[in-house]
Amino acid sequence: MSSTTESTAVTVDKRPNLISRLIPSVVSGIVLGVIGAAIVGLIVNKITTAYSPDTVPNDNAVAASAFIAWVFFFMIGIGAFNGVFEWGFSRHEPTPAEEMHMAGKGQGLWRYFRYTTDHKVVGVQYLATTLALFFVGSLGAFSIRLEQSRPGALFFNPSTYNTIVSAHGIIMIVATIIMITGPVGNFVVPIMIGARDMAFPRLNALSYWLLFVDVPVILSTFFLGGFQTGWFGYAPIADQQLTPGQTSYDFFIIIFAISTTIAAMNIMTTVLVMRTRGMTWGRLPVTVWGVLFSVALGLMAFPFFLMVQVMVVLDRVYQTSFFLAASGGSNFLYEHLFWFFGHPEVYVIVLPSLAVAAEIAVVFARKPVFGYRLIIASMLGISILSVIVWGHHLYTSGSQDPLNIPFMLDTELISIPTGIFFLALVGTFWRGKIWVTVPTLFVFAVLVNFVIGGITGVYLADLPTDELLHGGMFVTAHFHFTLVGAGVFGFFASFYYWFPKMVGKRLNPMLGQLHFWLFEIGFVGTFLFLFIAGLQGEPRWSANIAAPFVTANTVASLFAILIAVSVFVAIYNVVYTLARGEAAEANEWGGKTLEWTVPTPVPLENFEELPVVTSLPYSYGELVPATEGSGPVTEGGVEGVQPQIES
Amino acid sequence: MSTSLEQVYELEPRIKVARARAGVLLLIISDALAVIAVIAGSQYLQALNTEGQYRVAGDYAPSFVAGLLVMIGLLLSGVAYYLWGRRASKAGETGQTLFLLLSLLIMLVAAVGETWIGATLRYGVPIQAFESIHLLITWFTAVHLWLAAIIGILLFGRILRGRIAGHEFVAEVSSWWWYYTVVASILLWLFATYLT
Repeated sequence: MSSTTESTAVTVDKRPNLISRLIPSVVSGIVLGVIGAAIVGLIVNKITTAYSPDTVPNDNAVAASAFIAWVFFFMIGIGAFNGVFEWGFSRHEPTPAEEMHMAGKGQGLWRYFRYTTDHKVVGVQYLATTLALFFVGSLGAFSIRLEQSRPGALFFNPSTYNTIVSAHGIIMIVATIIMITGPVGNFVVPIMIGARDMAFPRLNALSYWLLFVDVPVILSTFFLGGFQTGWFGYAPIADQQLTPGQTSYDFFIIIFAISTTIAAMNIMTTVLVMRTRGMTWGRLPVTVWGVLFSVALGLMAFPFFLMVQVMVVLDRVYQTSFFLAASGGSNFLYEHLFWFFGHPEVYVIVLPSLAVAAEIAVVFARKPVFGYRLIIASMLGISILSVIVWGHHLYTSGSQDPLNIPFMLDTELISIPTGIFFLALVGTFWRGKIWVTVPTLFVFAVLVNFVIGGITGVYLADLPTDELLHGGMFVTAHFHFTLVGAGVFGFFASFYYWFPKMVGKRLNPMLGQLHFWLFEIGFVGTFLFLFIAGLQGEPRWSANIAAPFVTANTVASLFAILIAVSVFVAIYNVVYTLARGEAAEANEWGGKTLEWTVPTPVPLENFEELPVVTSLPYSYGELVPATEGSGPVTEGGVEGVQPQIES
Repeated sequence: MSTSLEQVYELEPRIKVARARAGVLLLIISDALAVIAVIAGSQYLQALNTEGQYRVAGDYAPSFVAGLLVMIGLLLSGVAYYLWGRRASKAGETGQTLFLLLSLLIMLVAAVGETWIGATLRYGVPIQAFESIHLLITWFTAVHLWLAAIIGILLFGRILRGRIAGHEFVAEVSSWWWYYTVVASILLWLFATYLT
């Protein structure tokens, strides 16, 4: 199955000059993208001015065309289309040397700034982008808490406040969607299933760089008048939003949906066909199942999100009327199409986090996973139910009273598979000899936070209580407990768990614990007090808090300071580790999944010889004293650390 | 992170075939859901007829005859592709390239035709819901046809370079997208034609 090509590989080892390094790369991509966007924007500006009866340019058309040109020319500049043309018109198939060059061989750190196909590079790119998005999104969160710390307009006018809330929301949603399927799905999953790379390496790079070009698109909203429509971009408000900042949001979603669809297709195909010998469906690690269910849901849900944003763009640019009642459109169309995506999206975020929590629980409880099949079945049940519950977001909209009861019932059904999953997670820890590490702490937090998020969700699923609570801070607190409490804490569990494998260095555990405790105490404190504010009747989307809600909001803002400090602790830990951190061992935690059987740093082709899998990777026995330098091991000794493979 | 081991590994042929099939099937499923979103959304607006403004006097659909010609062209393109693909997707056979060229040319003509239909829609603003749907379906179809044409051009280039041998599965999975494009476009057109 393998062939050595050292002779051809030599040709790409020549030291490249500066020009060949920069072209193609992210630098040439940005330069060409900016020039292309400026020229196309200018042309459309002239054309729309010429055709306008008032000689006024169509700002939305200009913004839309500039965004399309930015993406198109960036992709030309970074060389995304080179492989496509070579596939069709080259005289020969890519040589092994060319493939290695595409995979970043011999390019050092610069490979992270090129159209590199190696799945590990793409995984690290996703990780860096996720952290950057979290940082930007958290700046919005702290701005919100600052503004709501005292009554009255402190820093922002209502319009700016709404833009900050909206941008915070959508940036965080995007970050949480990619936070595990991006880094773990790309870096870890292929190794976990015994593959050398993703099924479609070039498409893998494309999915990441589409995400990269998407970031300036959403940030441009701050220079184009912003958008006040919330992370959901409700129409017809979105249609009537006069500034092109709303168009930034729409294109951000369109590009992200394309990126995510490509990534989902790639990850699903990889798991479907690239598994090594013996890696049967019954031996797949739980993480792989979680990522698989997540991307499958995304593949089905994102087309609806994409199409509804296309309709909004048509409404804004061409003055169609999909959502304008005066011309026969309907806001309910937006709400249905949006929430048909919007509710599965919650599980796109949460399922991988829960799966990672289960994976980590096994490793640190040092005992077999409790109810492997139950876990898979519960994730399948959650996935299926999640696509038929979107109507509960429309309870109070007045669109569909006869369907409210069925939607209430199927929404509440989700608590059954979710409860089963939690039973399995608790069962895994039960009577285990728990090794309390930073990843373990985050898993404990997932358990605590998601229970709070889940139980408060029942009140919102119930029609009578939702009538009272909808549109209030109770909802805000609930979904933060779900998406942050389970999702983001699950991400940080995976972050501390796989960082040594991905980066080759060990994060400082003391700083990790400090990060955890500041984050968990700050998070629970902040949002418990927002629950109180919600029960007192505080509405969402209010820049200036009213007198009855001052105390709860002030206390919540004080707790948010702890979260802010935790962010900087985490940043310091990462920067310090990258600069001076200790080198990580190949099997940092005594894990039994395949990624822990390969060296750190992971070689380009992952495995020298493809492994043959013989069992589930969770067959831990009782702990025996660790031998020097090997860390805790199971009763099988060092060999027992890697029982999933034969060779 | 060094990349210390420097060997290149060829994928097994069966995996190459399986990943191509899986990848294209998943893309078709995803795109079909976008088509369903358009159809369901359009049907919903028609059923709601908000404020009786869904369709008002003077609203019109794109030319039936032009649309029919495009759809006939698409059918012919699909048939021509089938005549090429049924041989080309078998190991050791190449198929009649003329049929692929014919199929591609018809697809290009259909794409130009659909684009012309979209460009010549002179709807007055604000565009009513009924006409909004037609605008969306026309351009959505045009994008699909251009995408298929680009795939056809790449495939044809590959054949001209003599690089289809040993990659018969490329002809097979391309045919899936080709047929899907034809079927989805015809379904959308039929839906739009019977939309009142």
